[in-house]
Amino acid sequence: MVAPAALLILVLSIYPLLFSMWVNFVNYDFQIPGHDFVGLQNFAQVINDPLAWSSLIVTIFLSLTVVVVEFVLGLALALAMVKTFRGRGVVMSILIVPLFISPVIVGQSWALFLQRPFGPADYLLSQLLGYPIAISWVGETPWVYISIIVADVWQWTPFIFVILLAGLAAIPPHLYEAAELDGIRPLQTFIYVTLPQLAPIILLAITFRLLDAVKLFDIIFMLTGGGPGTATYTTSFYLYQLGFQQFHLSVATAGSWIFLLLLSVVIMVLVRRLLRAEAR
Amino acid sequence: MAARSRSLAPGPRATGAGVARFLIVALFIVFVLVPLYWVIITSIKPSSDYLTVPPVWFPAEPTIVHYTAALFSYRGLQGLINSVIIASAATVLSAVMGTMMAYSLARFNTGGQHLAFWVLSQRFLPPVAIVLPIFLLFRSWGLYDTHIGLILAYTFMTLPLSVWMMYAYFRQLPRSLEEAAWVDGLSRWQAFWMVAVPLAAPGVAAAAVFVFIAVWTEFFFALILTSRYAFTLPTIFRAFLGFQGAQYGEACALATTSLAPSIVLGILVQRHLVRGLTLGALRG
Repeated sequence: MVAPAALLILVLSIYPLLFSMWVNFVNYDFQIPGHDFVGLQNFAQVINDPLAWSSLIVTIFLSLTVVVVEFVLGLALALAMVKTFRGRGVVMSILIVPLFISPVIVGQSWALFLQRPFGPADYLLSQLLGYPIAISWVGETPWVYISIIVADVWQWTPFIFVILLAGLAAIPPHLYEAAELDGIRPLQTFIYVTLPQLAPIILLAITFRLLDAVKLFDIIFMLTGGGPGTATYTTSFYLYQLGFQQFHLSVATAGSWIFLLLLSVVIMVLVRRLLRAEAR
Repeated sequence: MAARSRSLAPGPRATGAGVARFLIVALFIVFVLVPLYWVIITSIKPSSDYLTVPPVWFPAEPTIVHYTAALFSYRGLQGLINSVIIASAATVLSAVMGTMMAYSLARFNTGGQHLAFWVLSQRFLPPVAIVLPIFLLFRSWGLYDTHIGLILAYTFMTLPLSVWMMYAYFRQLPRSLEEAAWVDGLSRWQAFWMVAVPLAAPGVAAAAVFVFIAVWTEFFFALILTSRYAFTLPTIFRAFLGFQGAQYGEACALATTSLAPSIVLGILVQRHLVRGLTLGALRG
């Protein structure tokens, strides 16, 4: 019964990985014919490319920032939503809507919403703050980073919120009753009861979100196109440009192997911990 | 004190915490809805309303011209048809294969922890690392820019989701019913199809919807593996990059067309959302 699924995964993951192992060490370029053995030259080309490094730093910076912001907002929302109230079902349905929208459309929508002269963002901010605002949301640093972070936070805060809400709802009520009997203040209850109970769920939510956040591509593609210049190149976007716009396929493959190796360290540690937590 | 159903809005006996809860939720709802509303309302705005100050929030004369333009001038209709075909086929394949694999993992512990870990780790592979060899493989096998190719790629991409959701589901189901079926002389296959699958039907349905949404909203694989023929709805947004002309309405109409079905489906299965988001690691 495992066979069909395992076969497909084998064909579409193991074979390509083995094939790309070979591509790593040869010339595979739509601009240079032939597949000569080139040793470690592909890897050297990536490692010596300053853009590879800057895109890695942008990836780390953006993914850590969005995960922190989404965690704080998601936790606040989950704490606010954990008690029942009238209309909670409708509110819940609205809050999760961004999860079901293609990231490409999220990028497109924020591009439309933020950019002058069409987008209403500057107008709304001017009204709110009482003085005229003219921000180049996708043309200037640091605004361009803020735009990306806002779009990502818009889409993925509900992810962390929903998971933490389930975790909060699963905390046994008698713990809170005991805390109340002991006269413990709400903030202390939060620190000594809620957080430790929630810790495994927090690990789960952050693992999933972080491992997705480092792949950041779609929003960049639609919102900034990597610009201005190369300021918002993430690793995924950089490798895409290298492989599919410049057609340096073997160099891009070597780059994606380096990226994969860096990530697999994180995956091994976090996913193993998750599996162990689940086995219990 | 514990009234069963309270209003979220702070009442006469509002506490500081109550006000804070209300503000957090209300502000986030505004944050979620405003850009979405802007996109949807722009899709029915006449072009003359685009650049007015202050912006038009309720068009006086709504129009559907942007929808006809998006569907026919930007090949939105073909993208829509392709998306429906590809997402449906990949959903069926992924749900069937995933359910079979999950059952085997859950009941017979096939491959032990290693197989389970391997399947799960596929979920976290960065697409950019695997898409390049798949692209070359598809070109040499004639699968590039075909429906079949993209269906296979998406089935592969969503298998960890369907396997893990169903794995968690099967482990919850008591195995005594299948054991009774074996005692009654049914083979393992028969017990699977006639006893376990019907019992797990709600789980299969939920997993299938999540697979469909994942495929419906996917961009990167479709961008790389298709071009003029098997392209899906999300890939059409490339046409609006850079915005030379006033195509705001078309972009918004296409966005609305694409986001409406997946939002409706998503809200229908929101009871299973936590399971879907965490691949079954957490029950809702």
